[in-house]
Amino acid sequence: MNILNKTNKKYLLRLALLSIPLAPMMSSCADDFLEAQPRTSVSVENAFDTPERVEAQANGLYATIKSGAFLGGRYQVYNDVRAEEFINRLNNGVTGAWAYAHTIGGDDTYLANFWITGYLAINRSNLFLEGLDANATKIDPAKLQQYKGEAKFVRALTYFYLVQIYAKPYAIDNGASPGLPLRLKGETGPDNNGMARSTVAQIYAQILKDLNEAEAELPSNYSSGSLNTTRAHKNTAIALKTRVYLTMKNYAKVIEEGNKIVSANAPFTSPNRVAHALQSNIKNVFTNYTTTESIFSMPMTNNSAPGTQNQLGYYYNGSPNGNREYYLNVNATGIKGIYTNSQFRDTDARKTDLTATISGQRYVTKFSGVTPFTDWVPIIRYSEVLLNLAEAEAEVGSQTRAIALLEAVHKRSDATWTYTGTTKTDLIDAILTERRIELLAEGFRTNDIMRRGLAIPSVGAGAQIPVADSRYTFPIPTREYQTNPLL
Amino acid sequence: MRKLLLMSLVLTLTLLNQAVAQSKTVSGKVTDQTNAQGLPGVAVVVKGTSVGTTTSADGTYSINVPANSNTLVFRFIGYLPVEKTIGNTSTINVGMALDNKQLQEVVVTGYATKSKEEFTGAAASVTGEAIKDRPVQSFAQALTGQAAGVNIVQPNGVLNNPPVIRIRGINSISLSSFPLVVVDGIPIATGDASPNSAANNPLGDINPSDIESIDILKDAASTSIYGSRAAAGVLIITTKKGKQGKAKVSYDGWVGTGVAARLPELLNAEQYVEYKNEAVRNALSVNTALVPTAQRDANGVSFFPGEGNVDTKWYDEIYRRSVSQNHTFSVSGGNENTSYYFSAGISDQDGFIKTNSFTRRNTRLNINHKVTDWFNFRGNVTYSNSMNMAPQTGSLPGTSFASSGLARLALVLPPNVAPRNADGSYNITGSNTIGQGKNLAAITFQNPLPIMDLNTNTSENTRLISNIGADFNIFKGLTARTTYSYDRGNTENIQFWNPQHGDGWSWGGQAFNSTARRENWNWVNTLQYETTFGEKHNISLLAGTDVQKTTVDTWGSVRQTLTDVGFDLYQAGYTTNVAGGNGISYRAYESYLSSLNYNYGGKYFLSANFRRDGNSALATKQRWGNFGGASVGWALSEENFFKNSSLANTVSNVRLKGSWGRVGNGNLPSDFGSYSLFGTGLYGDISTLAYAQAGNEFLSWETSDQTNIGLDLAFLNNRITFETNYYKNDVNGLILEAPQAPSKGIPGNSILQNVGSMYNEGLEFSLGATPIDRGKFSWKTNFNLTLNKNEVTALAGGNAPIPGVTQLETANLTSVGNSVGSLWVVRTNGVNPQNGRRIFINKKGEEVQYLHGGGANAWTYLDGKVASAVTAADASAMYNTLPTWYGGFNNNFTYGNFDLSIMFTYSGGNYIYNGTQAGLRDQRFWNNHTDVLSRWQKEGDQTEIPRPIFGDNVSNGSSFPIDVNVEKGDFLRLQNTVLGYRLPAQLFGKTGISSLRVYGQIDNAFLLTKYSGVDPEISTNGNSNLAPGVERNTVPQGRMFTMGVNLGF
Repeated sequence: MNILNKTNKKYLLRLALLSIPLAPMMSSCADDFLEAQPRTSVSVENAFDTPERVEAQANGLYATIKSGAFLGGRYQVYNDVRAEEFINRLNNGVTGAWAYAHTIGGDDTYLANFWITGYLAINRSNLFLEGLDANATKIDPAKLQQYKGEAKFVRALTYFYLVQIYAKPYAIDNGASPGLPLRLKGETGPDNNGMARSTVAQIYAQILKDLNEAEAELPSNYSSGSLNTTRAHKNTAIALKTRVYLTMKNYAKVIEEGNKIVSANAPFTSPNRVAHALQSNIKNVFTNYTTTESIFSMPMTNNSAPGTQNQLGYYYNGSPNGNREYYLNVNATGIKGIYTNSQFRDTDARKTDLTATISGQRYVTKFSGVTPFTDWVPIIRYSEVLLNLAEAEAEVGSQTRAIALLEAVHKRSDATWTYTGTTKTDLIDAILTERRIELLAEGFRTNDIMRRGLAIPSVGAGAQIPVADSRYTFPIPTREYQTNPLL
Repeated sequence: MRKLLLMSLVLTLTLLNQAVAQSKTVSGKVTDQTNAQGLPGVAVVVKGTSVGTTTSADGTYSINVPANSNTLVFRFIGYLPVEKTIGNTSTINVGMALDNKQLQEVVVTGYATKSKEEFTGAAASVTGEAIKDRPVQSFAQALTGQAAGVNIVQPNGVLNNPPVIRIRGINSISLSSFPLVVVDGIPIATGDASPNSAANNPLGDINPSDIESIDILKDAASTSIYGSRAAAGVLIITTKKGKQGKAKVSYDGWVGTGVAARLPELLNAEQYVEYKNEAVRNALSVNTALVPTAQRDANGVSFFPGEGNVDTKWYDEIYRRSVSQNHTFSVSGGNENTSYYFSAGISDQDGFIKTNSFTRRNTRLNINHKVTDWFNFRGNVTYSNSMNMAPQTGSLPGTSFASSGLARLALVLPPNVAPRNADGSYNITGSNTIGQGKNLAAITFQNPLPIMDLNTNTSENTRLISNIGADFNIFKGLTARTTYSYDRGNTENIQFWNPQHGDGWSWGGQAFNSTARRENWNWVNTLQYETTFGEKHNISLLAGTDVQKTTVDTWGSVRQTLTDVGFDLYQAGYTTNVAGGNGISYRAYESYLSSLNYNYGGKYFLSANFRRDGNSALATKQRWGNFGGASVGWALSEENFFKNSSLANTVSNVRLKGSWGRVGNGNLPSDFGSYSLFGTGLYGDISTLAYAQAGNEFLSWETSDQTNIGLDLAFLNNRITFETNYYKNDVNGLILEAPQAPSKGIPGNSILQNVGSMYNEGLEFSLGATPIDRGKFSWKTNFNLTLNKNEVTALAGGNAPIPGVTQLETANLTSVGNSVGSLWVVRTNGVNPQNGRRIFINKKGEEVQYLHGGGANAWTYLDGKVASAVTAADASAMYNTLPTWYGGFNNNFTYGNFDLSIMFTYSGGNYIYNGTQAGLRDQRFWNNHTDVLSRWQKEGDQTEIPRPIFGDNVSNGSSFPIDVNVEKGDFLRLQNTVLGYRLPAQLFGKTGISSLRVYGQIDNAFLLTKYSGVDPEISTNGNSNLAPGVERNTVPQGRMFTMGVNLGF
C-alpha cells in the first residue's frame, strides 16, 4: 500500500501549510515574552549597586522634603497665612484660603500632603539607613558615615516640621501632649499600618538624638557653597538644634549649641567649619542663594521647580507671573501685621527692597514673581540662628550679648536703628518682633507664636485662637485615621 | 478524466434536451416583503435543474423554464427561500421575507460563531443598522438602552468623551470595569488616550457605519473563552462583509445640529448685585473681618451694576448651536468565491461647546476569498484619522475644580461683568482674573473668552487596524484558522496655553506636546472539529492559542515662558524646557484555550470552555491563571411530548439554560505593579534616586465567579419572545490599591494587593413582540429591564473603606455592606427658622448649626452652646450610586413607505451627588442658581436656603459634601426618535438608484426626571469605579436634531 496516495498527499500538504504560521509563534513565546521589565526605574535589588546610586539616594532624601507640596513652598505659606501678617486676596481653597480662615479640615488635600510627603521622607530615610547597614561593605567608610548623618538629619528635620503643626507645643506641658506616630523602621509592605501617637516629648527626644548623631557623622563642609547650602554638614545640624531647643524653651542648650557656630562678639560669624556670616545686603541673600548666610536651603531649577501653586513668588509677588494671593496686613485697627510695627521702619532695607506696592496693596517681593519660580527656599539662615541665640541669651543669659545679636540682625538692614528697650520683657519682645521682620514669608510665624504658647492672632478667622482651641493645630489627615487603627 | 467525460455527456444531454423539449419564459419581479422594494441579485433557479438567472437592479427577472419543470426557487442571502409552482402562468411576482434566524440569531462568541439555538450563555446582539445613523463619535455611545444588562452612560456632552459601559454592574474596584472590546478578533485599547482637555476615545477611530454587528457577551459561559480578560463582559465588533450578488453601492449621510440641554437657571445681573450685597451685609453683621475693607465701600456695599447695566449671559459666551455632518460611502458585493466591502467616510462634528470638534476620516477594505475548496483567505484593513479638539471644559475626570474649566466659569462668573471691554479687547486684568467691573469685591475667576480663543488642545489619532487570516479545511469537519491582527496607532497631543490669560498666564505661555506610539498585535490560531454521529450527537471541539502584545511609548516635553508673547506654537522660542509626557508601557498576554460544544438532537446542550492565561503585569510566580466555564441547555419545546401537547400551538419555544464559570480581570493599572522600584529625579540640578513604588511579589489574578440561569420563551410562532436571566457575579481577589497608613511613608500610600470581594446579582428581562403585522402596517417592540444589586463584601486592611475622590472633594466611599462607590455625606436637617443657619447632624447624631464667620461660636447646638466643628469626618449617610433598575423600550413602526422608531431609556434606584448645586449656592462672589432667592431673611422663614453670609462655603456643601446635594437619579428619556420615508422605486426610473430613504432624527428629545442637575446620566469622574454618580461643574448633555439620507444603487 502506497501511503503517499493522492489523498494523503493532499492532507500532508495542508498540514505543512499549517505549520508555517505555527512555527514562529512558538519562538515569539519565549520565556521573556511575559517579562515586563521597567526600563526607566531601578529595582530595589540594584539600588545600592554603584557609589553613584547610593549618592543619588542621599540626594533623594533632600529632594523628598524639597517637594513644593512640603518644604519647597507650601508649608511655609500655610504657616505664615494662619496668623496676622497676611490678608488673602483670592479666597481660593487650593492656595491656602482654608488654612488662612482656620476652617481647614483633615480631608484637605494640601494639608494631607504635608503629612504624606513628610512621612515619605521619613520612610525613605529609614530605608536608606537600613540599606546602608545592609550594604556597608560596598560603600566607602567615610561616605557611609556621612550618608547616615544626612539621613538622620533629614529625618529629624522632618519630624520637627511635622510635630510643630500637628501637635500641641512642647512648651505648654513639656511635651506631654499626643505627638506623632514615631516611625523609625523602613516600610515596604502591607503590614504595620497601626501605630499610636508617641508624645510630643518622645518625638523631640528622637529629633535631638538624630541631630546629635548627625552632628558627629556629618562632614565639616563640602566642596562648594552650593553643596554647603543644600546638603547637611555639622553646622547645619547644630543650627537646627538651636531652633529645636528654642522650641523646647531649653535656652541653656540653645546657647550651648549656638556658641558652636556663633562667635562670642560682633561681628558674629561661625568660628568653626563653614564660616557662616550675615551678608552685608539682605537682598543678596535672595538672589545669590549659596552665600555663607544660607545654612540650608531647598534648591530650585527649571527642571526641579516647586510646581503649580506651590511657589513662594506665585503666592506673594506680582508681575509678571506672581498671582498676589496674599498681601501684607497694614490694618490700622484690629489684628495688626508686622508691616505697620514701629520696629519695622520705612528706612529698613527689608521694607524698601523686599516689599512693594502692587495694584494698591503691599506685597512681599523677597521671592521673584517670574515663572517657573526657581527662587531657592530658605530653611535655615544665619540671621535666624543669631536671633535664636539672642532670644535664649535674653531669657537666661547675657542681655548685652542678646542686644548685640539683635542689633547685628537689625542694623544690617536699618543701620540707624538702636535698641531702646529697658527690661528683659522689652528685649524678648524686640527679638520676637525682629524675627517677624527678618523671617517674613519664610514660614516661621505661626510656629514662633505656638512655641511660646500664645494665641494665634488670625486675620482670616477674625479671632485670637487660643491653645485649647481645636483650630490651634492642623488636624491629622483623615486618611491616617482611616488606615491607622491605633491612632 | 472519466469524470470530465461524464460531465460533458450530461451537459450535452441537457443542451439536447433543451433544444428538443418545449420551453417557456416566465418573468416577474422579486421584492422585499417588508417594503415592496425590488431586490436585485436574487438567484432564480428552476428546481431540479441548473437553469438559473439573477434579478436585475429593479428586481425583475426573466427565465426560460424547461417544459418538464414546474417549480421556481428564489434564493437570496438573508432571506427565506421561496418556491413557486409555475403552472400555466408566465408572470410570477415574489415577495421575499427576511430570514430573521439567519440575520439575527447568530451569536459571535469570539473564536467561533454559534446559532442562537445552540447558544446556552447570556448574550445580546445589536445590529449595525441600529447604530449607523446615530450622531455619535463612537459606536459605544449608541448602545444605550439596546440590550438588557448593559448600562451605558455618556459622562457629558464633550465630544468623544469615552462612555461608561457597565455590563451587569460594576465588576471591579481598582481595575477597569470597562468591557473587553474585540474588533474583528483583536482586543483593542479603550479609555481616554488624551493627556489634555480634548477627550479622545480611541473607539471613535472606527466608523460605526462599518459595523455589521455588536455582540455583547455577559455570562461566564460566553466570556470564559476570553479567560482573564472577560470579567467586565466582552463586546465583539464584527465589521461588514460583502454579500454574494451584484455590487451594492450605498451612501449614508446626515447633517445635524445640537444644543446644550437643561442648563441651570442663574441670577441675572440685577438679582446678583442685590443678593450678594445682602450676603455682604449679613457677613459684616457677624464679623467685619469677613469682608476686607478694600472690598467694600463705607456703606458696606461690595457689588455694583456694571457699565451700562451689563447683564452677561455667560452660557451664550461658552455654548452654541452646533452643526455636524457625516458621510459614508461604500461598495460591497461578491461572487461565490470572493466577497468584498469597501468604504470611506468622513465625519465632521462640532460640539455645543464652542471650539469643541471631532473630525474623522476613514477608509476600510474587507475581503474574503475562497482560494480552493479547503483554503479560505480573509483580510481586513482600516485606516483612520481622528482629530479631537476641545477647550478646557473642566468636564473630564480630575478637572472639575479647574479654575479655567469652562463649564464652571459659565456657572460662577458674575453677570454684572462684561466679557469684553468697550474697545472689543478681552476684559482681563494683569493678574489673571476677569476685570471685576464696578464691583469692589475681588472677582478672581478667569475670563473664558481668551481661554477658548487663544488656547489649543488637540489629540489626534492616526490608526491602522488590519487583520489577515486563513481558514483551512483539513478534512470534513476539521478547520484550522489563523488570524494575525495588527493595530498600529499614533496619537499626537498638542496643548498650548496662551501667556495672556488662563492656565498659561503664570508660565508666561506653556506648550506641552507629546506623542504616543501604540503597537498592538495579536495572533490567534485555532483548530475546530465539528461532527455529527449517531444522527443526533452534534459535537464541536475547539483548541487554540492567542498571543497579544501591546506596547505604548510616549514622549514629549513641556516648554514654558515664550520668548515672544506673540507666538502660539510649541515650535516657538521658550526660556524653559522640561520633560513631560514620557513613558513606556508593555503588556503581553499568552493564552491557551479550548472549548467543547455538544448537543443531542437540538434538545440537550452542553458547552465548556477552558483557558489558561499568562499576563505580564502580574508577579512572576503568579502570572498564570486558569479560567473556564460550562453551560447546559434544554430545548423543552423540541421534545415530542411538548410538540404533541396543545401548549405547542401557542408556545413555540421553551428553553432553559444555566451556566457557571470563572473569568478574570487582567486590566491592571500598572504594567510593573509587582515590582518594588526606585525612581530617579532631581534635587536642584543633581540626580536623585528614591524609593518610588512598593511592589507586591504575590500580586495575582482578580477573578469573577459567574452564575447564570436563563429561560427563553416564544409564543405565537415566535411573534412574541421573552428572555430572562438570573445572574450572580462573585468577584474575588479584587486587586486593590490597598490604602496604607500615610505615616508609613509608602509611595502613593497604597500597595496593589489581592484583597476584597464583592458581588453583582440581578435579573434581566427582555420582551420582544410584533403586536401588529398587517402588510402595510407593522409594529415591532422590544422592552428590556435589568435589576442589579451590587455589594462589597470585603476590603483591604481589615475592611478599611476606600474614599472616592472628585479632584478636590471626596463624596464617595466604598465600604463593606454597601454598593461600590456609594455617596458618603454629612447629614443635615434643614435651616433653622429662627436664625437662618444650616443645621448639620454630627457623628453623634446631634444637631449643630453653623454661623459663618462666627469664630469660636461658629458651631453651636440649637440652644446656643458651643459645639465641635462638623467636618467631613461626621459623614454618616450612605447613598447607592449604581442604578438598581434600568433598561430600554424600543418601538419600530412601519406604514407603507414610512418608518418610525421610538426608543426610550430609563434608569433609577440610584442617587447622584449634585456637587454643581453646591457650587451654585456658594456664598463667595460666585453667581448662584435662582433657587437662592428663596433664602432665609427673617425669623420664622421656612426655607431650604440658609441666610446668605458672604464667603460662606460650608452651609451650601462646598467645604464638605452634605446630603442637601444628594438627589435621586430616576429618569425616563426619549433617547432617540427617527422618522423615515422610503421614496417609491418608480421615481428612480433609469437612474440606477435602487433605494432612497430620507429621515429626521432627534436624540435626547426629552427627559423626565426630578433630578435638578443638568442630567441624571452624568459622570464627572468618567469611568471611575470609586467615584461614580457625581456631577461637579460638568457641561450638560446635548440635544441633537439630525436629517439624513440612505441611498442605494
